[in-house]
Amino acid sequence: MLKEQGFRDWAPSMSAREQLTQASFVGSIGGFRSLIASIYDLRAHQAFLDKDWASVEKFRGITTSLQPRFAKHWDLAAWDLAWNAYAYYRNKSEWTEDGIESWQMKNIMMPRYLEKGLEFAKQGAEWVPESYRLAMVVADIYSQKYNDPELASQWYFKSSQAGDAPPFVFRAYATHLARCEGKEEEAYEVTSLLYRSTRSSNRSLTLTVRRDMERLEDHIALIAANTMSLEQLESAALKNGSTYLDFAKLGMHLLEVKKDLKAALAVYRDIANDKNAPFFYGRKLLMLLARNPANEEQAYAALKKLLKRSPELFRRQDLIEFTKLETSLGASNDNRKK
Amino acid sequence: MSADKVKSVKEDFVVPHKLFSLSRVWAIALNTFTQLVRMKVFYFMLIFSVLIIGANFLFLNFTFEQELKILKDVSFGAMTLFASIFSIVGTALLIPKDIEDRTLYTILTKPVPRFEYLVGKLIGIILLVAVSLVLMSFLFFAVLYFRQHAILAEEIKMIRGGATDAQKEYLKETIFAQGVSPELILGVLAVFLKAAVAAGVALVVSTFASSTLFTIIVSLVVYFIGHAQSLALEYYFPDGQMYGALQTFIAGIVAVVFPNLQMFNIFDGIITGQSISTTLMLRLIGLTGFYLTIYSMISWILFAKKEL
Amino acid sequence: MMAEEIIPAVQINNLTKIFPVPFRKEKVIAVNDLSLCVEAGEVYGLIGPNGSGKSTTMKVLLGLISATSGSSAVFGLSSSETASRGSVGFLPENPYFYKYLTGAETLSFYGKLCGLSRRKIKERTSELLSLVDLENAKDRRLGGYSKGMLQRIGLAQALVGDPRLVVLDEPTAGVDPAGSRKIRDLIIELKQRGISVILSSHLLEQVQEVCDRVGIIFEGKLVKEGKLEELIEIESQTEIILEHAEPKILDQINELVQASEETRVLRSGKPKTTLERLFLKETGAESEDVRKDS
Repeated sequence: MLKEQGFRDWAPSMSAREQLTQASFVGSIGGFRSLIASIYDLRAHQAFLDKDWASVEKFRGITTSLQPRFAKHWDLAAWDLAWNAYAYYRNKSEWTEDGIESWQMKNIMMPRYLEKGLEFAKQGAEWVPESYRLAMVVADIYSQKYNDPELASQWYFKSSQAGDAPPFVFRAYATHLARCEGKEEEAYEVTSLLYRSTRSSNRSLTLTVRRDMERLEDHIALIAANTMSLEQLESAALKNGSTYLDFAKLGMHLLEVKKDLKAALAVYRDIANDKNAPFFYGRKLLMLLARNPANEEQAYAALKKLLKRSPELFRRQDLIEFTKLETSLGASNDNRKK
Repeated sequence: MSADKVKSVKEDFVVPHKLFSLSRVWAIALNTFTQLVRMKVFYFMLIFSVLIIGANFLFLNFTFEQELKILKDVSFGAMTLFASIFSIVGTALLIPKDIEDRTLYTILTKPVPRFEYLVGKLIGIILLVAVSLVLMSFLFFAVLYFRQHAILAEEIKMIRGGATDAQKEYLKETIFAQGVSPELILGVLAVFLKAAVAAGVALVVSTFASSTLFTIIVSLVVYFIGHAQSLALEYYFPDGQMYGALQTFIAGIVAVVFPNLQMFNIFDGIITGQSISTTLMLRLIGLTGFYLTIYSMISWILFAKKEL
Repeated sequence: MMAEEIIPAVQINNLTKIFPVPFRKEKVIAVNDLSLCVEAGEVYGLIGPNGSGKSTTMKVLLGLISATSGSSAVFGLSSSETASRGSVGFLPENPYFYKYLTGAETLSFYGKLCGLSRRKIKERTSELLSLVDLENAKDRRLGGYSKGMLQRIGLAQALVGDPRLVVLDEPTAGVDPAGSRKIRDLIIELKQRGISVILSSHLLEQVQEVCDRVGIIFEGKLVKEGKLEELIEIESQTEIILEHAEPKILDQINELVQASEETRVLRSGKPKTTLERLFLKETGAESEDVRKDS
């Protein structure tokens, strides 16, 4: 009956029972389970300070089997192994002069602790599904240690669905999804949703979301530009209910396939005037304008103003181009003065 | 003294005998409580204070969850320990002592039914456990409250460039979720109920035991088995079903002899953020009432015919 | 009131108490077919050596143990009924109370057990404390009381419910002569108030002065019972004690005795004081007379 209430979540598994000494077992069932878990928590912390990773793993195993419903135990277990132990062996492998030892650390110890940490985090996510925390830790490990944006994005999504998930988890999901090859459409949906929801509220957009948004829109536009004919794109853009993205596809086609700067400029001007379009299209338009030497100075002045007002619209490559433009203008001015 | 005066004095003092008198039970309970208090048991508060204040300053480089958890664990551990020790040792100490010292003669040769004596002793000890738990809770909640505010201030200070209101709110929410809460009071209540059942066990044992030591040892054995009882029953009846009258009967006997004390350990649930349902609390209270009634009855049966 | 006078304070009929010896077949017969009766207002002494069954008899009377056979009643109520304790006060041998309570608290505790009202308890406590001469010690804890003081607070405790029968088990055992004298005086006072007393003692002499009747118990049986004077007087002897006896008168008495056919002088000389009296005189402790005057 208490099982229904969630209180009999624990019958000590054999392995945990073996690990525990007789006294702590009796104590753990005598109402001191939580206290004993805390004591092992402290022992694990001491082992961490001593860099005794085998003990850290053992003690964290005990705390988690004593109190599997306490998220922090899993969190710390994953952290100690996947980050602390992993980093310890990584650093040591770089400093050690013994080649074999270094190889062992890199190829046996590091992957082992990483896996162990991942395992703790996954088990924890199963035990405490109502908290965002452990699914996020799993995602963090996939993201930071395995460089696997796909699995990471899956776990970030799982984490973001928990009731207590802070907004950054969903952003992490979007960001990682945006880095999965072949998932751009899906990623674009999520990112644009995020972009719009944050833009309409007063909260500031993160730079990552802006960049992902632009990158994904460019990506989608470029694919369309390369696979569709001008007629198809034009009819799509002129159709009722078309969006600025249809224009962006057309503009991209004109620019990249037809190499028709003038026609492209006309399209981009329309986009920049669309209220729904992200602000970076204004920057794009000015950048295109600057390509025509006749408009160079005018475009430069406008870009300078824009940069001052909203520098977040400029990517790295935009800044490089802007600097180039500035130097070429400066040079021509110098020439004229001479 | 004249004969008239003798008569009038006598009539003044003729008190009709009541079969059960709450005031007599209360007198015994209060006497038991006073006795324990004057035995200076409340010095344990010093130990308790040292423990929980010490738990505060031991591990400063931990996360706030760990810090608050350790504080709560130490406090609840100490509360469980003290409450159980008081209930078992208090009962084991006082009743056999009354018999050994023949103080019991003077009580039972007053118009006091033996049942009232037993109930009075039990209530007195439970009263002591209750008062000590209230004292401990006050100190515990005060320290926890102080600590959660200190941690909040610390965390806010650690945010570079100053925390926004939203951040402050978030921190407050997450930190205070681990702090003082009504659930903790329910946890203390469960500790109290468990100690009351343990006192009941010790009461039964002390009515047939011949010494304090025997009572303590037997009660402790029952206490520990009581915690493992549910595990054992689960082992023998894995799907929770009893087959046949005999098994149900055996399980019933086991449940009376070894009360399921594991049920009272709801603190584990509380610390992992489970909310405690009213039904569960009522069930625990009902269970405690059931056990205390059964134990009072058993000890009365054992004690009623005891040759003193 | 008339009916009450007829009902005896204690009525024990054919009482037998057998204690089984654990793990053995043999049994101990502590009391064997004992019958006795204490009239209301009477002081009854139960005397006998240690282990003769005095305490067992009293325990049965007070319901602390049950009789194997036979019956025992207090003012007509069977000892097995709690209500029978309503009119009894009991002082056990070497009483031991809660040493964390003060004298006054002890009396008030027992008063509550007797069901007295708060006001009555207050009255009764101060009355009894002065009766047993412990007013100065009433706020001291019993842990610091001497044996005699404990005995006296025990007596006060027995009296707190205003009993009609007081049962005293070895009331003077282990108490110094002054204390023992005080207790004796108290028993006399109880008797004057019309309270029945049954007391046990293994010291014959202590019983002499206060008891109306005594019963001699030996190996669980009541071997002799009766009025004290009747029991101890020797029918064939007469004692004459003279003060400032002149030799001439003594000679005359001797002559008269020798002239008689049957009368003989068994012993003559100076009577000895008792050691107890000597002790009381030398230590200057209050004598019976001084106490009565005050």
